[in-house]
Amino acid sequence: MRQLGLGLTMAAAGLAMALQTARADEELPIGVIAAQSGSFVSAGNTIVGAANLAAQQINDAGGIKVGDKTYKIKLYIRDNRTDVNVSIAAARELVNDIGVKAIWGTETHDFSVSMAKITGPAKVLQFSGNSSLGAVLDDKAVADDGWLHYTFQSEPQEWQRSGSTAKGVLSLLTPQLKSPPKHSVVFVGNDATGQYLSSHYVKALEAEGQKVDLVQYPPDTTDFSPLLTRIKGMKPDIVHFWYNGDSTLTAFPQALKLGVAPSYFLFGVDPGIYQERSLKADVPVTMSCVPVCWGSSPFPEVKQYFEKYFGLGAAKGPQSSVSLLYYDYFFWYAKALEKVGKIDDPDAVVAELLKSDYKGVVSPVPLVFNKHHQVTFATEVCMVEPNTSDKFKCAVEQPPAAPPPGDNGG
Amino acid sequence: MPMTDNSAGKVGAAPEGARARDRLALLTADNASVPLPAGVQAITAILLAALLIALPWLGLGYRFLSIAITTLYTAIGLYGLGLQFGQAGIMSVGHAALMGVGAYASAILSVQLGLGFWTSLPFAMVLSAIVGGVIGLPTLRVGGQHYIIITFCFCALFVIVLTNGGTFTGSATGLDVGSVTPLPGINFDKLSNNYYLVLAALFLALAATYLIGISRYGRTLRAIRENEQLARSVGINVDLHKLGVLMVSGLFAGLAGVLQLYYLRHISPTLFGAFPSLYLALMVMLGGARYLYGPLIGAVIVNFLPEVLNLDPVDSRIAYGVCLLLVILLLPGGVGAGIKNIYCALAGGFDKQGGGSNGRA
Repeated sequence: MRQLGLGLTMAAAGLAMALQTARADEELPIGVIAAQSGSFVSAGNTIVGAANLAAQQINDAGGIKVGDKTYKIKLYIRDNRTDVNVSIAAARELVNDIGVKAIWGTETHDFSVSMAKITGPAKVLQFSGNSSLGAVLDDKAVADDGWLHYTFQSEPQEWQRSGSTAKGVLSLLTPQLKSPPKHSVVFVGNDATGQYLSSHYVKALEAEGQKVDLVQYPPDTTDFSPLLTRIKGMKPDIVHFWYNGDSTLTAFPQALKLGVAPSYFLFGVDPGIYQERSLKADVPVTMSCVPVCWGSSPFPEVKQYFEKYFGLGAAKGPQSSVSLLYYDYFFWYAKALEKVGKIDDPDAVVAELLKSDYKGVVSPVPLVFNKHHQVTFATEVCMVEPNTSDKFKCAVEQPPAAPPPGDNGG
Repeated sequence: MPMTDNSAGKVGAAPEGARARDRLALLTADNASVPLPAGVQAITAILLAALLIALPWLGLGYRFLSIAITTLYTAIGLYGLGLQFGQAGIMSVGHAALMGVGAYASAILSVQLGLGFWTSLPFAMVLSAIVGGVIGLPTLRVGGQHYIIITFCFCALFVIVLTNGGTFTGSATGLDVGSVTPLPGINFDKLSNNYYLVLAALFLALAATYLIGISRYGRTLRAIRENEQLARSVGINVDLHKLGVLMVSGLFAGLAGVLQLYYLRHISPTLFGAFPSLYLALMVMLGGARYLYGPLIGAVIVNFLPEVLNLDPVDSRIAYGVCLLLVILLLPGGVGAGIKNIYCALAGGFDKQGGGSNGRA
């Protein structure tokens, strides 16, 4: 009988301890919607990689202290299969079935916009790294009753990135050329992102005194030689391979073979990839990363970040650095929750995010959201010495103060 | 009693040694012209309707319901394709573009003139029908694979025009619309209400398809499908009927496109390109274009297969390819034919049924 009593007492004590532990580790459900398969997988996987790393670090550090409770992040990761219908179904599931407090993703403008029409009415915060959201994030959309009130753009405005990139490219290439470059050709994929991004970049180059021709190629092009031959006939000083790093890696070797231009700029191609693929050119080549390069970063925080990021098994690819468009915002969101003291007050969290700043990995200057829920940070541009694959010179360019003439900023 | 179906051959009075082969022929036959008993048809319709109406209450979750909505509006578009392919024998691999005409017409009317869902819907459907007829004009001169290539070209051109259409079409970024205008007491922002809206449209499409199938018009279309020259020789205005069915198909596509637009509330050219069009063709072939429930079955298979089996897009495409091969080899009439054959086999074979060909079951 005594043994039975002792057993019951121990069981009760165990149960109490288990309940105590459960109470101490409340769960903060956060959703991630990204392409883990399909054509956008290389960008989508970076969102998942960043989310896993950030959640692990926050949880290992004890979680998020909100009021008198401590929350551990529980990630609900959904593969959108590069399909807008699956993205929407996943958003519905995360918002309505699971009840997440915030969603990170997606890698695609169209998907993010459609998702925002679900997260907005449900008052679920959404962090999307699509600079093309700038086209829809306006005063009305982000107002208290606006459909994008809970959406945040975790990438700088495109005119800012275009401005800093154009400045960086020209400052690195000009000393390498016989005469200052005057004629640029922007070579870009003709899709939603390509159209939006190139419209700003052309204006940014023109603001730097360049005569600019825009040549667009259909998405999924693999043989670029007809268009590159046409570009060669334009006699440009610089060919800017804009926006799609994967397409650029196909087109750039073809351009080198054809001798299209005396210098090149490769957007979204990391020095690490340039080195891994042993690419070599007998002319100066510049490249930039979104947002900073994993292959050649001047910042120790960035180097440490990528060591941990790749340490978790993430693949090294042209778009690996995109993960940094998502990582810092987990910590910033956690900080905002702690400050607000409640996890069920999204309006207060939005207000807190708009008035606070956060010193993260992506930028040495603290991140701040502007009134349209967009951040600002610098762009890193690197140049590889001709006939080498691993000798880089990098510069970090700050964004311009205002959009260039002819660019409305949206 | 001999079967009237060509592909199955005479199976009713098979000799003993050929029984197994006959059973296989029975299960793989394309028996679209053999009607099921009226009672079975009615019970099937009632059960299916009850299942579809009850779906939001089955507690399957929002994800399931979202994919169900995608399946239903896709099926509506497929009923148009099913009519032109299954009944009239005119295949298209540009049907998504026809849905895009409806979707973009509605979106442009919303953005430029402020018209809502209900007011823009008839315009969008009529425009899709007209465009369907215009694309159909070449069918008066060419047919078969030549027309398929024309529809593919239309699809590619449509995407190019949208992508380079400036602010009018929203270029590659696309266009946004608001919610479906609420009806008294019904807010369509609620997912289940949105589901019922699309379901109501599906019932309309099903009813229209059924009525066309059993009508004189449907029989005329099938006559054209089976032998165009013969149909012409007996006085059927083949050109008019071909254009007519393509316009009806366009109406269905326009309806599906507008429903898709107001479900996604954002559209862009990529939704209406060659790839989505090929998927539509795949769905209608998998399900069975000649069967009343074939398009719906095809839409369910393609939309839910990756969900149920957790397939990524690459695996899905392989699975679809394998399914299509199996259907072509074993079920020329599609999965719809297979289901009907199984029923017929269980119910005692075709020889116990009537042999008329007054419609589709």
